[in-house]
Amino acid sequence: MKMKLVILALVLVLLSAIHGIAEPHKKDGPSKDGPSKDGASVAAVNNSGYGDAIRIEGEQRFRANCGRCHTAPQKFPPRMMATVVRHMRVRATITDQDMQSILRYLTQ
Amino acid sequence: MNYIELGGGITSVTLCCPARYATINPTIAPEKLGTALDFLRKIFRNWRSLAFTRSWAALILALLATVSAAQGPENERPIPILTGSAGFFTNVNGGQAQLVPEMNPVILLPLGDRWLIESRGEFKGEFERPEGGGPYGGKVEKELDYLQVDFIANPLVTVTAGRFLAPFGIYNERLYPIWIRSLQQVPLIFPIGTGSSDGVMLRGGFPVSPKVNLNYAAYFSTLSTVNKFESDRTAGGRFGFFLPGPRIEAGVSWQKLLQEDRTNAFGFHLAWQPALLPLNLRSEYARSNLGSGYWIECAYRLSQLPFWSKAMRRTEVVARAQQLFAEHISENEAEVYGLPDVNTRQGDFGLNYFLRDGLKATASYGRRFSSDGNSNIWTVGIAYRFVFPLGRLGAK
Repeated sequence: MKMKLVILALVLVLLSAIHGIAEPHKKDGPSKDGPSKDGASVAAVNNSGYGDAIRIEGEQRFRANCGRCHTAPQKFPPRMMATVVRHMRVRATITDQDMQSILRYLTQ
Repeated sequence: MNYIELGGGITSVTLCCPARYATINPTIAPEKLGTALDFLRKIFRNWRSLAFTRSWAALILALLATVSAAQGPENERPIPILTGSAGFFTNVNGGQAQLVPEMNPVILLPLGDRWLIESRGEFKGEFERPEGGGPYGGKVEKELDYLQVDFIANPLVTVTAGRFLAPFGIYNERLYPIWIRSLQQVPLIFPIGTGSSDGVMLRGGFPVSPKVNLNYAAYFSTLSTVNKFESDRTAGGRFGFFLPGPRIEAGVSWQKLLQEDRTNAFGFHLAWQPALLPLNLRSEYARSNLGSGYWIECAYRLSQLPFWSKAMRRTEVVARAQQLFAEHISENEAEVYGLPDVNTRQGDFGLNYFLRDGLKATASYGRRFSSDGNSNIWTVGIAYRFVFPLGRLGAK
């Protein structure tokens, strides 16, 4: 019985989370979703330049991929970051594009 | 094409840019390679006489001697790293207190643009008071979780050889480190399909569209009874997808035992991190001849609360529900595999406080229900992730 209550609580949290993100997605459109070929990046290119678009894309990919397992770590020097990202590419089967983008973001 | 000359170590490397698809032509200075090989030869000659801890450290040092000099002067060339986690926990399980110091050093040795040697050891003490009282005592377990060579063949395929973590579900490969896991108690079904394997693996991840990434891992492992390199003869794999927009990940795993009773194990995993909420939802299901079960875990960072924001954004609350349906395995078998031998349900609630990057205090309470008797499981402790460079960092 207690286990069913725990599962019920988890389902409720899940449903409230879905409800919570549904509205902002409608307002923002796909811009919060796609990392590179969506409206957010294009707008950033127009407004803030190519460098900002690269940074935004890198941050989005960083949060999407790295956040699957752990909280955001501090930034390390570029040579350490290159090793860490290669390790995570293998460990978490991160795509080549994501790895390049995340490495650029973390070493900027 | 740009050509970059890197030299000064035991190797000199010519790279044809772009770096991702660089061609590497090593030219090895014989006298320096000879020294390194002599060192390696001595290590392997004395391999059997060395204790496990000393062997692991010696191998790492030998590899470091060969690769640290191979790093070029560029500021963005990867360097060897010593990382890992250390922690100290106090568990009270059914009234029995246990002190658990733990250390998991990880060594990462990048070679050129496509190679990586990585290894993780586990040193874990489990100290209890003997029956009738007395000081805490017990053994320290020493394990080699993985010692693998990765070759990034192309953007689609990475070839891994050596001892690696079995790619079954997501917990074994990605969530196991104590600084990552939200609850320090591993799930009940964790022993199903997981552990380490000695063999070869192909793996990779690639986008099929801007909204969908696929990932896979397929492996074969051989039977090994060598101390610290124990492995079963198995074949298996995992296939999954990740949607970067809604941050949803799901996949299936399979493992076939190619010895003894040739059993199968199946698994399924699902994870979701909504972009606008500091919420982390994960779940796994596994089934084998040993039993079946699932766990569902929800971790929520309190950063959105409007009060005590400084403390709240460092605080995470966790809940996990899990259930295991035991098959007909003996008590001894269950102990060997680390599985309950009767149907078991468990609910856990935990609290993590991130003191700073890589350092967290953790506490949890769990209640286990089974026909062997119900029990409370308390855990309190601290986990730390360390990272040290093993080479020159270059200009910042």
